Amino acid sequence: MGGYGDVQMIDENGLRVDGRGPGDLREITIETGVVPVADGSCRMTWGTNEAIVAVYGPMEAHPRKIQRQDRAVLDVGYNMAPFSTTDRMRPGFNRRSREISKVTKDALESVVLLELFPRSKIRISIEIVSAEAGTRCVGLTAASVALADAGIPMTDMVVSVASGKINDIVVCDLNKEEDNYGEADLPMGILPNSGELVFLQMDGDLSQEEFKQAWNYNMDAAHVIHEHMVEALKGGAVQ
Amino acid sequence: MRKNKDAGEPRDSGRAQLLVVPGEDLGDSQGLEPGHGVMEVNGRIRALKRGMMTKNGSYISVEPTHTRYFPRPSDLVIGYIEGCTNNIWFVDIGAPFNAILPMSLGPGKAEFGGTRAIMDVGDAILCRVQEVEETHSSVVTMKGMGLRKIRSGSIEEVDPHLLGRLIGKGGQSLRALKEETECRIVVADNGRMWVDGDLSGILQVRDKLQSLSVTSQQNNAGGRN
Amino acid sequence: MSIPLVPNLLRAHLSELAENDSRIDGRDRWQGRETQVEVDVLPRAEGSARVQMGDTIVFAGVKFQVMQPYSDRPNEGGLMCSAEVRPIAGRNWEAGPPSPEAIELGRVVDRGIRESGCIDVESLCIIPGEKAWQVILDLFAISDDGNLFDAFALAGIAALRSAVIPAERFEVGKDSPLGVSKTPIMCSYHKVGGRFVYDACHREELGGDERIHITLGDDGNVHSLQKGLKGIFSTEEFDEIMRHALGRTNELRDLIN
Repeated sequence: MGGYGDVQMIDENGLRVDGRGPGDLREITIETGVVPVADGSCRMTWGTNEAIVAVYGPMEAHPRKIQRQDRAVLDVGYNMAPFSTTDRMRPGFNRRSREISKVTKDALESVVLLELFPRSKIRISIEIVSAEAGTRCVGLTAASVALADAGIPMTDMVVSVASGKINDIVVCDLNKEEDNYGEADLPMGILPNSGELVFLQMDGDLSQEEFKQAWNYNMDAAHVIHEHMVEALKGGAVQ
Repeated sequence: MRKNKDAGEPRDSGRAQLLVVPGEDLGDSQGLEPGHGVMEVNGRIRALKRGMMTKNGSYISVEPTHTRYFPRPSDLVIGYIEGCTNNIWFVDIGAPFNAILPMSLGPGKAEFGGTRAIMDVGDAILCRVQEVEETHSSVVTMKGMGLRKIRSGSIEEVDPHLLGRLIGKGGQSLRALKEETECRIVVADNGRMWVDGDLSGILQVRDKLQSLSVTSQQNNAGGRN
Repeated sequence: MSIPLVPNLLRAHLSELAENDSRIDGRDRWQGRETQVEVDVLPRAEGSARVQMGDTIVFAGVKFQVMQPYSDRPNEGGLMCSAEVRPIAGRNWEAGPPSPEAIELGRVVDRGIRESGCIDVESLCIIPGEKAWQVILDLFAISDDGNLFDAFALAGIAALRSAVIPAERFEVGKDSPLGVSKTPIMCSYHKVGGRFVYDACHREELGGDERIHITLGDDGNVHSLQKGLKGIFSTEEFDEIMRHALGRTNELRDLIN
């Protein structure tokens, strides 16, 4: 978080640099069945983010040591392709990607009915081919759709979105500049049926009231995104 | 929250079909028996998978559009030998975990250490599921009528939800296909099918599977009923 | 990559198919799968392409970096080619450092493009001895249903030909298209059931034997060759393949230009 409070990103009419209002989401598209050799898959664009997720399984868990006798394990890999960022990303081990893989796994393990597949594993590959702030949210959301596409049973789908603060104003769904120069970032993973959470991170500086505002923005946005997800799963590609 | 027009009321009874997604609310649970692919949460029925919701009287379930095979005892399955020890073969039956074939349940006479000589990695077998334990592998057996190592022909993967149309009412579509192609066809329970005969017959069967798959995709294109 | 299980019946079946001049997916011996090429598909790359051949899908992205020229070649920039096949692309691809298969993929495609001389490395010089452009071509698999070689090679050259040098972002001048003077194209052949076929699908690769990759330039010139996996082939077999490659590379070249 840069905290460069003096970079003007929202004007007196509440219009942001890309023309959005404080509560507006970037444009989203969702398609399923985009990786033909996988058991389930999803391609999601969100602003100029693009994530492609493939799901394989449930299948025999190899190596033996990762197997659990009582339930399935999720093998989640989040990765950014070298050409996904303005400055090329070198392929290879990346701490940030490891962390995001883990918190994404924790979120999804909270909804997948793992006990139905003891000793097996479900592999979820999240590839970010174009990045523009909020990639972890795109990845987690697209992974939910891919899991549903693969016929994996879940108590609900996870919808992930982030809100933050720019020029002291709380806004929904930060874009790249806002993420760089803004004062806070609050990504969440929400279950649309109950409003409960399976994923939560935050960094920056938010007052109690601002925090509540950002929280509510995420909750409202999640319902809109969820409708896109449902339509994509029921009827094909959705704009 | 997505507005559910008939929240609180049961959907039409009979064989009504509707495409649903995980987490979708399917109405009040009163008087309903949750079956495959659904669960009861706080007095409501909730879908767990994407698929067709079916209501058969009081039994409500979701048949997934894509699913993995789950072994059940006495299922006829086609498996591939993935590995072996001195007295066990490990068999890939297309399930979330491999099955075990102990030598005592294998073909012919058992001789400790001789697994490889009888059946090796990559061989295909027709066998039956003997038992399924929750935390252990399922066990398959080759002791039984018609069970054997598959030595010729081809094995096709068939999407489970095409099986109904492939087999037809009372098995008549399958019988017709066998006659037309002059092939021996064994449809296993695990989404695999053994076809044996002249190459032209095998190719005909493959074409038939392809056309079934295409029509099925066309029917599901809109997604809604 | 984990070694996939080869069902023994598959090899016997592929042999029978070959004897009957058939293929497992119904194609002719020399017939390629439906091929689509799209360029400018990755917003953050300076050049990009997506190629789909049947169910095989790949991306290629071109990124530019400023490098210091090598002391013995002060007027030259560089080209680097890297291939990644991650677990997303198929059950048998594993996470971790690049497998020998992925490395071979990257290097074979690299040679095909580099040896054609389609990129003039002197044109990449910015300030002799101080700054030059390094062109990095990243090949990325999304879905592997066989013949990643040709998909990567096609995507790679399509991405390069649509690339724009981001001089403005690096404050060294105005943006301009990357000069790519030729269009080298690769065709790959696998021995399946005892004979070579073009554009193998995954099952053919699984049950097949050796493979040969040929990259030809605009004038039919041979720019690179590679034989992979174990197996033996004859001059006649090779001539047959070369004849096909001459025609097919032209078809694919038209798809790009």
